[in-house]
Amino acid sequence: MRVVVVGAGPAGVRAVEQLVRSGIEPVWIEEAPDGGGRIYQRPPAGFRRNHRAIYGADAKRARALHAALEALKPRADWRPDTLVWNIRPRERLLDTQTAGRRRATVEYDALILCTGAMDRILPIPGWTLPGVTTLGGAQIALKAQGVGIGARPVFIGTGPLLVLAALQYAKAGATPALVLDTTAFATKAMASAGLLWNLPTFVRGLRYTAALRLRGVPVVEDATPIAIEGEGRATALRWRDAGWREHVTPCDAVAMGWGLKPEAQLADLAGVPFRFDELGHNWIPEKDGAGRTPVPGVYLAGDGAGIGGAEVAELAGARAALALLEDHGLPSDMVLRAHLDGRLRTEARFRAALERAFPYPADLARRMDDATLLCRCEAITAGDLRSAARAGGSEVNRAKALSRIGMGRCQGRVCGPPAAEVLSEALGLPLEQVGRLRGQPPVKPIPLPGSA
Amino acid sequence: MNRAIVIGGGLHGLSTALHLARMPGWQVTVLERRHVGRHSSGVNAGGVRRLGRDLREIALSMVAWEMWSNISALVGDDCGFQPGGQVKVAENAAELGKLEARAAQVRALGWTHEEVVDQAEVRRLLPAIAPHVVGALVCHGDGSADPMRTVMAFRRAAQEAGATIIEGSGVTAIERSGAGTLRVVTEEGTHEAERVANCAGAWATRIARMAGEEIPCGVKASMMIVTERLPHFCTPTVGPTGRALSFKQTVAGTVVIGGGHQGLNDPERETSTVLFGNLAHAARIAAELFPCVKGARIMRTWTGTEARTPDEIPVIGESRTMPGLFHSFGYSGHGFQLSPAAGAAVAELIARGATNLPVAPFTQRRFDA
Repeated sequence: MRVVVVGAGPAGVRAVEQLVRSGIEPVWIEEAPDGGGRIYQRPPAGFRRNHRAIYGADAKRARALHAALEALKPRADWRPDTLVWNIRPRERLLDTQTAGRRRATVEYDALILCTGAMDRILPIPGWTLPGVTTLGGAQIALKAQGVGIGARPVFIGTGPLLVLAALQYAKAGATPALVLDTTAFATKAMASAGLLWNLPTFVRGLRYTAALRLRGVPVVEDATPIAIEGEGRATALRWRDAGWREHVTPCDAVAMGWGLKPEAQLADLAGVPFRFDELGHNWIPEKDGAGRTPVPGVYLAGDGAGIGGAEVAELAGARAALALLEDHGLPSDMVLRAHLDGRLRTEARFRAALERAFPYPADLARRMDDATLLCRCEAITAGDLRSAARAGGSEVNRAKALSRIGMGRCQGRVCGPPAAEVLSEALGLPLEQVGRLRGQPPVKPIPLPGSA
Repeated sequence: MNRAIVIGGGLHGLSTALHLARMPGWQVTVLERRHVGRHSSGVNAGGVRRLGRDLREIALSMVAWEMWSNISALVGDDCGFQPGGQVKVAENAAELGKLEARAAQVRALGWTHEEVVDQAEVRRLLPAIAPHVVGALVCHGDGSADPMRTVMAFRRAAQEAGATIIEGSGVTAIERSGAGTLRVVTEEGTHEAERVANCAGAWATRIARMAGEEIPCGVKASMMIVTERLPHFCTPTVGPTGRALSFKQTVAGTVVIGGGHQGLNDPERETSTVLFGNLAHAARIAAELFPCVKGARIMRTWTGTEARTPDEIPVIGESRTMPGLFHSFGYSGHGFQLSPAAGAAVAELIARGATNLPVAPFTQRRFDA
């Protein structure tokens, strides 16, 4: 049986581990030059900082995952630096490209997609200025390359990553000028009962905020970013506090992010149906608790199948592999399966609370100024999208055809969520009815064939 | 007031509705199963081309070109029309010979829009063309337009002229009433009209069949590639003589590559799928003609579903089994340019039973033999 695992982050590693245990040698494809995923991304060869310095409190998990990764590489058909840019579900074929040029097709009988997630952003005036990046991007720069986005960065957004990234920068020697959380403390407090489902993580979050304040970093909650200002690069953030007072905070860089969104394009191309997840305000591919999708042979695990974080990804990766083995009549670890099911149920409750604690500020997106640049690839403003809505753009794909939003390099991965909010408001329809951008190959730009 | 139903909200349906709604005494309703411009109308390459047309199509294409040259007067928008010219290049002496023969044939019919140029002139027109190209057939004044913008302009103009456009309304039957009018049945209700136009594109043969008429016609799903933005290097739309390709650089800098390479088609599910093997072929030809696009990255690919007749020219004419029903479909992947003129012709056929526009060659009688 030909099994392919796409992704070598926490989910992919644990999936391959279970497959290898059962005597399967999967084709293992990773887009990055090495495994580890975004959270445990490894520094390039030659970098010498140790796990503790790079991953902080996650060092133990990172070390364990990297050890498993290294042990598994020789036992799989390991293909790093390889992009899966298309899936042909009828023929059960993947189209891949290695090192930006070498093309191949890979056959599969079963497929586990562990494609991870990316930052979810909210366009505000000035968000395309040099010096502005995502929270995840800022964190990876620090983790993998040992460089910061600035010496006095501002952090905007909400969610666990906001305070974590700010604290990591503070510890690395930067002086965060401001941490602006769009969520009110009351909202977080209301959800705190549910957060107890994962007490250590919850407590960690509170500790990070306290540590930031102790270092003199201003942390404001229930605040609104108005604009990133600067000539040629970001030099200040204009924002409004909960009491509606305006402030200008000078800075030399901005990191922004409002939680994560699944990178689910491959699941889409594989034919997996999607459902709207009210809680996470995301479209997510359908799967059962074990990672089985309605498409026979296609399994999903990790953040690419709905945001759960790295711990959940490890559990879900192993669980999806066990489901695959079971479905194909192969021996699988029944005890482990029961254990994973229990853990995943608990974590799902924690995740639900987390989404309630750190909601996407849909209102800010919906009230976005007409002049604000929404789609940076094609230079489409919120006003352009609203015009498209008036001209018959009754759902996102239609609005795309009319306005070009989401037609550029990112294929709507960046602008998709806020665009859906703007459209939903303009049409007076619930977000769910506005739909989602259909996946189209290539999922990322690839060189013209025949030109390598 | 006479009533007309136009089945299909593609460009041909909208153009027919626009022209008819501007005639006194006609109340026009467009029934579109999904939404206007859903299939090939909204996603085609936007070629505004007289160059290389089937000889039977040239006359109508010339009328259409006149309309394109002043498209704002027709629909109140320039539709993004860029008359940058169309060029068919010859990659060897034999191909150049073919182009010369073609030009002579067109001239013999009295047309002068196609012109053979030598290697030096090709270089002047296309500085980035590969050195092996020896000459070309050129049509100045041709070019390309923005298909979705064109669809929306025709839609708006048709509505302003008084036409009603109903989206999400699929036709399930056509029948004749006791009073002699035509009844067009949809899932939502029945529309009655004196005249009906069948502009249903890839699904038009089904409409014909509802009227008891079999017209030979298949479907196609031409694929397109668009690259990332490149510095400006090419103004005209370009195609080779001996191979299938259409190549143009948009104002934004992206390169759109098409040329009839076929994807998978599923008319039942109303979807079409890109076949990358076929696309790779188009990309290779593009890189051979324009070496500077080598290594350019593909941003998106897509297909659009369209009807294709056995001889690749459209069917325009009244139904022989259900008088009062007029067909206009089967443009076989090159109907975009014809749409302003074809719509005018069908509107005249509907309103007056005859037209001076040159559509006689497109009667379905030609398949009788």
